[in-house]
Amino acid sequence: MDTSHSHHLEIHGNSILSELKPELKIFTTFCIVFSIAFLSLENNLFIFLQFFIVLYFLFISKIKVKTYFKRLSIDIPFILFALFLPFISKGDNKVMFEFFSVSVYETGFNEMISILIKITLCVSLAIVLTATTSNIEIIYGLQKLKLSPLLISILSFAIRYIDVFIDEFKRVRVAMKSRGYDEKGIKGLKPIAYASGALLIRGYERGERVYNSMLSRGFTGSIELKEREYKSSKSLLLFSTISICITIIDRVLI
Amino acid sequence: MKKPYLSVKDLSFEYPDGFKALKNITFELSKNERVAVLGPNGAGKTTFILHLNGILGNLDEEIEINHLKYSQENINKIRKTVGLVFQDPDDQLFMPTVLEDVMFGPKNFGFSIEEAEQNAIEALQKVKMLDYAEKPPHHLSFGQKRKVAIASVLASKPELLVLDEPSSNLDPASRRELVEILKNLDISLILVTHDIPMALEICKRSIILNGGKITTDDETYMILKDRNTMEENRLELPFGFALHHLDE
Repeated sequence: MDTSHSHHLEIHGNSILSELKPELKIFTTFCIVFSIAFLSLENNLFIFLQFFIVLYFLFISKIKVKTYFKRLSIDIPFILFALFLPFISKGDNKVMFEFFSVSVYETGFNEMISILIKITLCVSLAIVLTATTSNIEIIYGLQKLKLSPLLISILSFAIRYIDVFIDEFKRVRVAMKSRGYDEKGIKGLKPIAYASGALLIRGYERGERVYNSMLSRGFTGSIELKEREYKSSKSLLLFSTISICITIIDRVLI
Repeated sequence: MKKPYLSVKDLSFEYPDGFKALKNITFELSKNERVAVLGPNGAGKTTFILHLNGILGNLDEEIEINHLKYSQENINKIRKTVGLVFQDPDDQLFMPTVLEDVMFGPKNFGFSIEEAEQNAIEALQKVKMLDYAEKPPHHLSFGQKRKVAIASVLASKPELLVLDEPSSNLDPASRRELVEILKNLDISLILVTHDIPMALEICKRSIILNGGKITTDDETYMILKDRNTMEENRLELPFGFALHHLDE
């Protein structure tokens, strides 16, 4: 049974971003996300400037609107959390208005707006990065950015073996269904828990076998990916700098 | 007297749970000889070949290959000399692309990046998988993965190739291609298999492992002809397979 590889987020389009150095894209994403996270949100101009930077990247990534909103749904848990804040985060106790006789606090309300704006902008950038950079390229980029070799190895294994595990889990479920297993209801969870346990043990055993196969080919402790060729871009660095400057001006000078 | 290329003397192994998987194994192999290891499930075949690669065992010099004693300081040379192809290619192929996976061994064994790439390309050519060099291994069919797994070991230029059930789960055409690839390799070979016709086609000599012991060491053809030995070791010829035409 072949996996659908549903976790592969890269979109094979003709975006100019797809051809750029992955390490540059990761660095830029990190810089802009960092700048947005530290924005005070007191001055609308700065919010709009950051918003336009993100919008520009979304535009040049050539990601379809429908795909974008589908992927943006990943921030729903954060949005749900943020929607509770106006009712529970009291701060200076200043009540804005009553909502079905429940007080809505101004501090909480501002925090909600802040989280909604920041999370949406940051997730949008992550969508741009993953849509224009394959899993392998992200690992390659992190290797170029001198991330610890151990973390690089863990990430490579996770990406390599997630398909194998999804396939195994699918096979187990098919085998369960073929013996009359009904997924519905709480009772259906128990066999799934047992199957997950069995998969966990199989995963551990596979880990041992993979390690043995690596040892047999002289593994000494680090995995290095082959050199690849990508285009460089000064505009990404320019946008990173602009984004950081906006936040510095927002935080320090004003 | 000429020293054998590989010699295993009185090798025993016990798993931590107390199960004795190997009992006083003594085995010799000449240079460029091909030997099949036959036997029922749980006989100790995989445990035996993991010793040949220095993965299992305490490396106390029970094994010697090409005048090289098995010891901790020699372990890298031993693993370069003995290439091991695992039963499940998914255990072996873990790098993002086929080429990088095939280059993994040579890079670890001290080949330069250029040499490693050249070796990898040659090995992929040998198994007819060069067109897939830039593909991720998990997108390949099982038969293709098996070929890449073999290439990933051949790229380190081993002198002895050990394969653990290489024909399992392969369709007949893939199995045929694999047999042709193995027949054309000019190195020593140890083939662990349940595929008796494959053992007969590739290896002139076979040993039978049963209950952790070598019970038989003879010409493959002679073993297959001996009904008693076959039955005692839970071996059977496939339905419709006949040996008599080989006598003619």
